[in-house]
Amino acid sequence: MRHPFFQLAALLVAAAGIVVGCGRTAPSPEAGDAGDLRILSLTPNITEVLFAMGLGNKIVGRSNYCTWPPEALAIPAVGDTLQMNQEKIIALRPTHAFVITSRRDVIGALEKMGIRTVPLKADRMDELLVSIRSIGRETGRADAAEALVGRIQKDLAAVRDRVKGLARPRTLFAFPMTVGSAQMMVAGRGTFVDELMAVAGAENAFPDAANWPTISTERIIAFAPEVVIVNATGDDAAGDRLEAIRRAWANWKSIPAVAKGRVYILTEPYLTIPGPRMGLAAEKLAEVIHLPAGGAGEGAR
Amino acid sequence: MNPRPLTLRSYLQSIGAWAGLWACVCLVAVLFGGERLWTMPSREQVMDILASRLYAVLVASVVGAALSLAGLAFQALLRNPLADPFVLGVSGGAALGVILSGVFVTVIGAPLFGFVGALVTIGVIYAVAQRRGRIEPYTLLLTGIVVNAFYAAAIMLVNSLVSPVRRADIAYWMMGAISTLNPDWSLVAMVGGLTIAAGIGFAFLAKGFNLVAVGEDTAGALGVRVERLRLVTFVAAGLVTGASVALAGPIGFVGLICPHILRMAMGPDHRRLVPASFFFGATFLVLADLATRLLEGVGGQTPPVGVLTAMAGVPFFIYLLRVRWRRASEIR
Amino acid sequence: MATGIRNPVTADLPLAAFPYLAVRGVGFAYRRDAPVLRDLSFDVQRGRLANILGPNGSGKSTLLRILVGLLAPGSGEVRLGGALLADYPRAALARRVGYVPQETAQATGFTVLETVLLGRSPHTGALGFEVPGDWYAARQALHLTDTELFAERSLDELSGGERQRVIIARALAQEPELILLDEPTAFLDIKHQHTIYGLLRRLVREGGKTVLCVSHDVNLAAAYADDLILMDHGHVAAAGKPEEVLRAEILSPVYEMPIEVRKDKTTGRPYVMPRPQA
Repeated sequence: MRHPFFQLAALLVAAAGIVVGCGRTAPSPEAGDAGDLRILSLTPNITEVLFAMGLGNKIVGRSNYCTWPPEALAIPAVGDTLQMNQEKIIALRPTHAFVITSRRDVIGALEKMGIRTVPLKADRMDELLVSIRSIGRETGRADAAEALVGRIQKDLAAVRDRVKGLARPRTLFAFPMTVGSAQMMVAGRGTFVDELMAVAGAENAFPDAANWPTISTERIIAFAPEVVIVNATGDDAAGDRLEAIRRAWANWKSIPAVAKGRVYILTEPYLTIPGPRMGLAAEKLAEVIHLPAGGAGEGAR
Repeated sequence: MNPRPLTLRSYLQSIGAWAGLWACVCLVAVLFGGERLWTMPSREQVMDILASRLYAVLVASVVGAALSLAGLAFQALLRNPLADPFVLGVSGGAALGVILSGVFVTVIGAPLFGFVGALVTIGVIYAVAQRRGRIEPYTLLLTGIVVNAFYAAAIMLVNSLVSPVRRADIAYWMMGAISTLNPDWSLVAMVGGLTIAAGIGFAFLAKGFNLVAVGEDTAGALGVRVERLRLVTFVAAGLVTGASVALAGPIGFVGLICPHILRMAMGPDHRRLVPASFFFGATFLVLADLATRLLEGVGGQTPPVGVLTAMAGVPFFIYLLRVRWRRASEIR
Repeated sequence: MATGIRNPVTADLPLAAFPYLAVRGVGFAYRRDAPVLRDLSFDVQRGRLANILGPNGSGKSTLLRILVGLLAPGSGEVRLGGALLADYPRAALARRVGYVPQETAQATGFTVLETVLLGRSPHTGALGFEVPGDWYAARQALHLTDTELFAERSLDELSGGERQRVIIARALAQEPELILLDEPTAFLDIKHQHTIYGLLRRLVREGGKTVLCVSHDVNLAAAYADDLILMDHGHVAAAGKPEEVLRAEILSPVYEMPIEVRKDKTTGRPYVMPRPQA
């Protein structure tokens, strides 16, 4: 152990230990009144929720992908959960961090910076509502949280009412992937999109409980969906990508949705992740699902 | 391996046998690979499913044959049993071409950009590795390693610049993309034609491969134009590799393992190995693709074919190594 | 015998009028400032066993590679059967000239029979199909080199001497008129050295071949060769019958050490005795 390498390593470990030890401990939960709230939001739908609760002006840092509402763009971006710019975060002096992740190292890193870190889950509708209430509790804005929850539930109920009694077509919701957009990930049963489809009055043509499996063409043909919704977001809607998606589906005329012109390409980015615009998402889906056959070929932005 | 003369008759017979095997496997893959056809309610559904499977089988055949041939050729060219079609970086050029096009330019014409990428890479490698117009295996291999490293870095750079969705797209494509919702029959026909041409070309070069394996001087003294052989092999194998990658993404293992399996079974004679590689490679990849469809029922989603070629190839190869083959040959 | 000779003039004259292999003023350099061969000239007559001798670095191997057609001479010309070597198409040349290179251990997995069949490459078609004549020639070659028993064995399993015989068999399978060998006995023991040279002499006497051998073993060459060509720094120092070339006054300056020449009383051939240093 006399080797200089080991001595240097020991020195570095000791130095790191001192730095870590001097880190501030996390403050207690009830951080006092909303006046000294400085929020770091590292997930797009959480950012949306915060703005919807009126806490937009308390956000001091966001992830690179938090781009809605437009006001969020004015907030400094600090990376994402995979690659946080720790210096920037420290410089912003946030008091609270809301993040959707189960990675202990991310949560641990934030806590070490002295930030009250609240890991949330929002994969499904109910989880999002729970998360909204959690945020309400943490920030002392429980009333705003309840109001938001109420609004969302009202929107969803309105959609449910509208489609009551209408036929429930077998619907497939697909996300195009791979270079060439020629493979499809489909929403399985139990996903958020599946829940939206249920609200919008459709039956998921994919019968199994699954997340977002990539399935083969022939399985899609075997499912014979009556309605197909393809969600092409962001730069998926650019260039000739939409054309490629259209051409892809047009190949398989035995699929009822293709034969009847009921393949819809939607470009809205909020359809697949739970957020305050859930009601809008359900409405959008209901709109195309219950269109008469041979109607508009794709949704407008 | 009993010594039998290689006559036109025995050649055609063995080609016939290999082709027959391949055709049977294709037939099984088309009729039985996936959903049960006889339970489909409508005839149109059956036709569509058959079309989708036929396309997958054709792509798998063409790509499998191409990669297997290219692997055999590169192993002969570089005197290196570890050579596979991707070792010289031509596949990296094709992949980068497809990715750059797919992300920034056009998705529909992406394979063409891939092929252009392969062509450019072939030119660059030749320009760098040549000395007075001649290419030596050693410099070729070193150049290829460097070029490969460059492309790996370039693809990582693109990956870091694009959105997570695009990143997932690229990652998935890099594992092989045979099955598709958007069949491009003319592209398959073109790559298929190129592969057949390469197969025929390599059949004529097979004698030369045998001789060059023994020694460069011996080959030259027995009438082989070694330099010309090297150049033609390099370009042909590079083109066919690039075309395969442009069509179905980089599918590993096929080009490395198929020639070795055949060598262990049939010996080192390239005259027999070339046609065998063509059909065995095709059959191998058709089986791997069939497995992805069958496994879909098990795992719920289709595994990428590149994963299966590796996982199927390894145990098979180990099995062959352990079972005593009289002619475990080495190329040095 | 279609050889594709492009020079019609020499094709009409009787072959005996020419030396079979004529080397005239050949020069060669791997690098511009370091010539390996300088104005080299000698003849090899048909049906003779000729041996090229010389110290290391005299350019023997380079010369042989030029004679096989692997290298082009920088200056001068080489004629085979009257026609320029450069005029022969590669395959045609391979049907007339057999080459046995220096022993290199290449484990390729070919059996002995397959190795010898490789020698039929100049005769088989574009795809390499074999006809019964190819197998007959291969078996003949195995017989001549006494390697028939090894036919099914892998080449890598044989000893050095056996392997060398197989390589010679491969050259014989080409059915050549001229056989060129580069240090065929370099790593062999005494018995195998003599077996090989005995075989070469039989090929000349009974098989009607012309053999040109490069060797550094002076006494071995002296015992078997009909003609000797002594090279010195890329140039021919002396050429002719063994007793003409192997003389102390010729050898000592070439090998740069005192050398005595004696005469073997049984065979009548000369043998050399280098004087040990100190």
